[in-house]
Amino acid sequence: MMNKWWWLLLMISCWMAVGIVVFGPRQAQNSGATPPPTDADRIVSSAPNLTEILFALGLEKEIVGVTLDSDYPPAATEKPKVGTFWQPNIEAVVAAKPSLVITLGFEQQKNLAERLERIGYNSLTVNIEKVSDLFDAIEEIGAATGGPERANELVGDIRKKLDRLSALAGTETKVRVLWVVQREPLRVAGRDTFVNEIIELAGGENAIGPTVHKYPPVGAEQVIACSAEVIIEPAMSQEDLAAQQDRAFQYWSKFRNVPAVREGRVYVIRGDTVSRLGPRLYDGVETTARCLRPELLEN
Amino acid sequence: MKRLLTPRNLIVRTGVALVVLLVVMFACSLIGTESISWKAVLDGPGAQPAANPDYEIFVRVRLPRIILACLVGAALASAGVVFQALLRNPLADPYILGISSGAGLGAMIAVISGLNWTLWGRSPIAVFAFAGALGTVWLVWFIGRLTGKFHVTGLLLAGVVVNAFFSAVIMFLTSIAKGEHVYTTIFWLMGNMTEEDFLVLWIGAGCVVGGMLALFYISPQLNALSFGDDDARSMGVNIAGTRTIAFGIAAGITAIAVSLSGLIGFVGLIVPHAVRLLFGPDHRQLLPLSGIVGATFLIIADTLARIVVAPAQLPVGIVTAIVGGPFFLILLVKYSKKVSWLK
Repeated sequence: MMNKWWWLLLMISCWMAVGIVVFGPRQAQNSGATPPPTDADRIVSSAPNLTEILFALGLEKEIVGVTLDSDYPPAATEKPKVGTFWQPNIEAVVAAKPSLVITLGFEQQKNLAERLERIGYNSLTVNIEKVSDLFDAIEEIGAATGGPERANELVGDIRKKLDRLSALAGTETKVRVLWVVQREPLRVAGRDTFVNEIIELAGGENAIGPTVHKYPPVGAEQVIACSAEVIIEPAMSQEDLAAQQDRAFQYWSKFRNVPAVREGRVYVIRGDTVSRLGPRLYDGVETTARCLRPELLEN
Repeated sequence: MKRLLTPRNLIVRTGVALVVLLVVMFACSLIGTESISWKAVLDGPGAQPAANPDYEIFVRVRLPRIILACLVGAALASAGVVFQALLRNPLADPYILGISSGAGLGAMIAVISGLNWTLWGRSPIAVFAFAGALGTVWLVWFIGRLTGKFHVTGLLLAGVVVNAFFSAVIMFLTSIAKGEHVYTTIFWLMGNMTEEDFLVLWIGAGCVVGGMLALFYISPQLNALSFGDDDARSMGVNIAGTRTIAFGIAAGITAIAVSLSGLIGFVGLIVPHAVRLLFGPDHRQLLPLSGIVGATFLIIADTLARIVVAPAQLPVGIVTAIVGGPFFLILLVKYSKKVSWLK
């Protein structure tokens, strides 16, 4: 009776030992050898804003793969697809024969980069959570793809436009903005988000105070108490903004006490420029600024 | 009355199942979103990365994934057999005693705390999930002991309540966590296959196959236990010992499966039932056959997950439920008339 258990234990131990001998050392060797430096002539992007950055840096020819959600610029939709932002398809990435794979710092994305590195592919992971991260990321990508001047130019250009806008709005009092990311249940953008930065760059301030959540769920009470002067809803789909605007008015009509609703200042805006941090940041800020002070940008 | 199981029958059936498994593995390794050529694969790796993508796709992406699906499927299905036998409950599956929520909570904590290290090639998510799974099983087992020596109802209730409690903690963490953390956890909870290092697969295979052999050793005792404690005792079975061994091994291989691929539902529930409906309830046959069929089933499900929404991928847990559910219901209706133990 005891005998067969010992046999089993012995067999398992031998199996493990063989595994460690066969696969263990080679693994160590693999991680020790640095991949040969290659020029980034075949780039795969794993996020829509990274794709936009690459296009803005003039690397259209070098891009050999993008995710399904990369819909801007229109030329991006014609590039080979390597899965979605959340579910990248590693097989398709490898088949694209990339010399550089650029991912974001999110867990799932970082994971893709690590898996690819294990097989022996070059990857670059950039964190883009804040506006300042965006500028760093553009410069990092520029450096990795051999075009740092182009990256500097792009960053300088965005900064210049933002500065001009903030100079226009600078002296005015701040407009209180409620930024609605989801209606049922109601969720808004909190202070610790890049959306908050967009609001502030556009000359506004977040009507919601500090919260535990990044995008806190709020109740009717807080909506009324925050006394927002403007309510902004980025649209999930880019189609038929007018109809979405009508539905938004209908929904918000129950909050008549909120100044924004009373004065009809509920805006549904294009979502892509304000929900991804990319080179079109200025467009998003400008759209927001137009909602806050339509008169300011008339000229 | 079904004919009794002879050694010849057992060997022939297991052998046929193994051949089917190998054929499925081979066929699935040819299927993917990218078409690869055999000639290029056989050329071996190129001098530098990206020189031979066909070889890399086959050897570094598809093959490890198929082997992983094989291991996880086998582990979950055999653990399901054991839990159904020990708890004498047809609804039992490997997750019934709280392993799923314990592992889920472990994974969630690992994601939220943003840890960044690896332990023997495993990510913090895998390590925490493994610890969470085993910790929860131990907790449930411990509470179950408090309700009586081996009180099946007490154990089940403890499992259900611990499950519900940990699920509530997961929900709480979900509601206060950052968006990307929530997404990461949700994808983990749906079960996902990725290509693992061969060392991880090798060690995993050792544990799972070793566990299955050990369970096969005690399958006659499991047969006796499924008649009830009194009958088993009168047949001279060491009830407490058998239970502890079976329980520990089943929980162990489930925890390994969960830490390798997240929560993949349904395999551990329907595969043992399907095999039982087709071949009868003798555990000496049920255990090996369920393991092999579970492996085959999960490989097919994972291949579907890789290709149905190409170029994107689905979490494999979705496929197992969508494909497995209806298939199992057909089996249930078709065969249940013939099988007396269902009534």
